[in-house]
Amino acid sequence: MSEYLVQRTTTWERFNHWVLAVSFIILCLTGLGFLFHSLNWLNTIFGGNHLAKEIHRWTGVVFTFSVLFTLGSYLGESLRFSKEDTQWLLNLGGYLSKTAVEPPQGRLNAGQKVYYLVVVVLCGAVIIISGFIIWLAPSTAGWLRLGHLLHNLAFVVFVTTVPLHIYLSTAANPGTFRGMTRGTVTKTWTKRHHSKWAKELGID
Amino acid sequence: MAVQEIERQKYISGVDVPYRQKGLLITPELCIGCRGCQTACKEWNKLPGERTHNRGTYENPPDLTPNLYNKIRFVEVETQQGLKWLFISQRCMHCGEAGCMKVCPAPGALYRTPQGAVAFNKDKCIGCRFCLAGCPFNIPRFDSNSKVSKCHLCSDRISNGLPPACAKTCPTGAISYGDRDKLLSLAKASGFKAVYGDKDLGGLGVMFAFREYPSFYGLPDTPGLPSSIVFWKSILKPLALIGLGGAVAAAAAHYITIGPKEPEEGGEQ
Ligand code: HEM
Ligand code: SF4
Ligand code: SF4
Repeated sequence: MSEYLVQRTTTWERFNHWVLAVSFIILCLTGLGFLFHSLNWLNTIFGGNHLAKEIHRWTGVVFTFSVLFTLGSYLGESLRFSKEDTQWLLNLGGYLSKTAVEPPQGRLNAGQKVYYLVVVVLCGAVIIISGFIIWLAPSTAGWLRLGHLLHNLAFVVFVTTVPLHIYLSTAANPGTFRGMTRGTVTKTWTKRHHSKWAKELGID
Repeated sequence: MAVQEIERQKYISGVDVPYRQKGLLITPELCIGCRGCQTACKEWNKLPGERTHNRGTYENPPDLTPNLYNKIRFVEVETQQGLKWLFISQRCMHCGEAGCMKVCPAPGALYRTPQGAVAFNKDKCIGCRFCLAGCPFNIPRFDSNSKVSKCHLCSDRISNGLPPACAKTCPTGAISYGDRDKLLSLAKASGFKAVYGDKDLGGLGVMFAFREYPSFYGLPDTPGLPSSIVFWKSILKPLALIGLGGAVAAAAAHYITIGPKEPEEGGEQ
């Protein structure tokens, strides 16, 4: 590796991230096709409602495993919350001004930790469990209403936050995206965005 | 009414059947519990019989099934004059504001016929069972392929000018079929002050002339869409689009105003 670079993700993490992202996008498109009759043409692309239903269900199974696999990579660190993390959240990571300084962050910043815990883990669990309820629970109004409500609640959180995640990890922070493609980021990037982690790695 | 006028009415009212023409009026006090309608329905719709066991009541089978669209419910009430039997036909109400149609994700699986019935098309049904979640009356049932089954007001008969099999068979006039307005005035003329389903849920296609409280017969006194479905329809569904659009717009606005966190001076990113 070039002396300017730092290993940000393992091959496994990257592979699983893209399984997660692609499965999510398929779920999202078919889900929208089911939710809005005006968007039902989306499911025509997936071969019609019958095939789209099967695709939605089995992609949900892939998504479930993928979410479970992220636990090993991010859960431990996301649960370790420091004083700097609180500061980071209070000034919203400096995103609302051109001059704000970011409090030193570890390998994951506080926003990433919150995104991981609240969206991926919590809403992920809700959307997964409710999905299996809709699929497999007995045909009673009670079960189906519960499943339907929870699935839609979690969906609203996902469609509102995932675009922000995509923006923040691409256009908003030049140099970040390569961490999920090539797996490396520059030392300058690391010092700028994750100075605590940089220190731990011994980057001056 | 011309098709365009129907479409226009749908659009302005938000209810999909202001134009409903036909319906049933059920007068439980005229029902003698013969279950002729239950049998005629199975006969016309070619629904096979099902083996049940004696539960100590004449009410049989115990509940609607994918092979039973219309069932006479037997209710026993103790009164001062002794035990009283109440009979009521339990089946799809062909709601004007049909919860089943609102939640169905497969357009055309449930559809409104020109006479105002809520009919189904098993070829389009994907078997998700959401229609049961949306129904205020616990009506849809699912066959072995998980496809929807329920009363469709004999849509194949009424579209050809025939009454539904149940109404045709009923020997006492407890089930009568006709123009909805006429049925309503008929009930009022017979001394029923209020008709169940006159205005509820956008007007039910199956209305009831009750002397007792609807709850005696196992129906909600004031029927309405399930609250989770109302919340979903009025809040969550719009929020999904607002949230998605808002997030994309917020990202774009941020990018062109505050802008990205540019690389440090001279730093290689
Ligand atoms: C096309 C869409 C997506 C793109 C371009 C994208 C991009 C990225 C990038 C570049 C990173 C690394 C951030 C860093 O190194 O600090 C990342 C991390 C991550 N992504 Fe994605 N992602 C996408 C979709 C998703 C989806 C749909 C999910 C989950 C539902 C997801 C979950 C995660 C998680 C859990 C992390 C780990 C750290 C964190 O909490 O941000 N990603 N993503
Ligand atoms: S089970 Fe069929 S009719 Fe019922 S909501 Fe699902 S697709 Fe629609
Ligand atoms: S009674 Fe239930 S199944 Fe029948 S139209 Fe109303 S909501 Fe749909």
